[in-house]
Amino acid sequence: MTDLSVSPPSPSNDRKDHASADSESHEGWRTRLRPLLAFGRFEVGRLLRSWRFLAITIGFPVVFYILFLGDHTAGKVVDGTVPWRVYLMVSMCSFGALVAALNAAGTRLSMERASGWARQLRITPLPAWSYVATKVVASMLVVLPVIVLVEAVGAGFGDVRLATTTWIGLTLLLWATSLPFAVLGVFIGFLVAPEAAFPVVTGLMFVLGYFGGLFTPVDQMPGSLQFVAHLIPSYHQVSLALASIDGHTLALSHWLVLAGCVAILGLAIAWKHRVEEARGLA
Amino acid sequence: MSSLPVAPAEALASPWPNPIALSFQKVTHRYGTRIALDRLDLEVLRGEVLALLGPNGAGKSTTISALLGLVRPQEGQVEVLGSDPRQAVSAGRIGAMLQSGSGIGLPPGVRVDEALGLVRRLYSRPAPRDQIVERANIGALLRRRTDRLSGGEAQRVRFAIAIAGDPEVVFLDEPTSAMDVESRRSFWRMMRAFGDEGRTVLFATHHLAEADEIADRVVVLNHGKVVADGPGATLKAAVATRRLRFVIDTPDHAQLSALDGVTEVGVCGTSVSIDSMDADATIRDLVGRGVPFRDLEMTGAGLEQAFLTLTGQPSVHTTGSAMPAEITSADALGRGDS
Repeated sequence: MTDLSVSPPSPSNDRKDHASADSESHEGWRTRLRPLLAFGRFEVGRLLRSWRFLAITIGFPVVFYILFLGDHTAGKVVDGTVPWRVYLMVSMCSFGALVAALNAAGTRLSMERASGWARQLRITPLPAWSYVATKVVASMLVVLPVIVLVEAVGAGFGDVRLATTTWIGLTLLLWATSLPFAVLGVFIGFLVAPEAAFPVVTGLMFVLGYFGGLFTPVDQMPGSLQFVAHLIPSYHQVSLALASIDGHTLALSHWLVLAGCVAILGLAIAWKHRVEEARGLA
Repeated sequence: MSSLPVAPAEALASPWPNPIALSFQKVTHRYGTRIALDRLDLEVLRGEVLALLGPNGAGKSTTISALLGLVRPQEGQVEVLGSDPRQAVSAGRIGAMLQSGSGIGLPPGVRVDEALGLVRRLYSRPAPRDQIVERANIGALLRRRTDRLSGGEAQRVRFAIAIAGDPEVVFLDEPTSAMDVESRRSFWRMMRAFGDEGRTVLFATHHLAEADEIADRVVVLNHGKVVADGPGATLKAAVATRRLRFVIDTPDHAQLSALDGVTEVGVCGTSVSIDSMDADATIRDLVGRGVPFRDLEMTGAGLEQAFLTLTGQPSVHTTGSAMPAEITSADALGRGDS
């Protein structure tokens, strides 16, 4: 048996008591916020330093955009009133957001979970929900510059002229409505094994892009496909963005579908988490 | 931390207000229909270095998961440092090195110092960085990327991460499984030094020699229950088994099994290996019956035999193939001591 008298108590014991007292005091929130910020910085830093990731997320939509610009589309109109060049820029922003969000979370999260790193984080003081939340926030932070970059290409080469306030409003709208993609990326990371994550992410990028009307406007699709488009967040994001450019009212139905997607995916993540916990895998 | 303050005499008499670090009370947990913990009762005192020993599926990992709040047992109560496990985790009082599954349990694409830096910032009162680096012996690895480490190096980094929060209690789930013999020895030296500071260490292993050499106390689990509990030496003495090895030209299994004191007989060609509860009697009997044996060797029971006897598994013989490879290698490791 251990002879307790041999080992003096760890000097850290007294300090631990301070720690619990601290969290009750007014400084508690700061103590609790610090790990969140540290983890957020770490995650974003990792994303930004991965050049392969940057090449995919930024390169893809911009290259696509420039290729589409080569089309002779003068005079072509979408939804009756929207000039093709405006539609094109907005849909490429949406595509960029989709690509960035799925790639930022999906593949990495899946790898981290398989490797045990996600589990290791769960046994630190970092709150359990903050792992998922930070992944979503980090994806959103990467999405913003992608949207701005595609807009810059639109302003520079795409012949899109908008008032400054419209640009700002459009950017914020596109950014906010990218949330379903960020949550979807995290969900894929939770659901799919690392080997499968990359193909799944790549496939979804094009499926959601195509059926969401990012490559062909929804009003120019056959009727059955139009129905499918209405189930996909990309369509609703683009519709809201185009409405904001034209100064139309932003229809509640679009917001509801986007919010619904976030809610369903969020619940799905929570469910997956609980199933794993019950099996002792989480 | 070579300059640990020496506690005053009165503090030594009662070093901690609550001397119990970990406790299980009638804890039952099932995964579906498979029972992982079966009304488990266990108490671990502060400052103990405890080895959790048992075959695969004995409940070692579930025990550790329950102590970390990763698993919520369906029945019974688990307490860590007098509180709910999740509470102890949130307060940063626990560190752990879990089995890493398919990967290395470290974030890919970052340097070791970045990963360590992150984990330190997650705790409100982390251990000093230099101290962690020295203890885990990762000074040479700090600038390396986590995905370019060897198995043994990665385990050292994971140990550094486990102790980064200056925890009072540390759990290690088969920490040396990816290591060669030399890294394994230095890892245990490292961990033993950590335990000698008065921290509570609980590690799961099926390397029996490790449990015997490192731990103050060995708890053997089987089918989610404690089947033996005590210092390694006591466990060994509890089973006074000796193993005899010799050669006979025509071994007769039935005859050998009938010898005094014999519990197990293994025959492989002309080589015979016998476990006996009373080696003297067995040898007398061998000679008395005129069995023409030669090249007799006798070895003391390792913790291995004690363990196998306690968990009711067939013993390992030269002919045995049912045992996991780890046990064979542990046998090889421990051979120097027997």
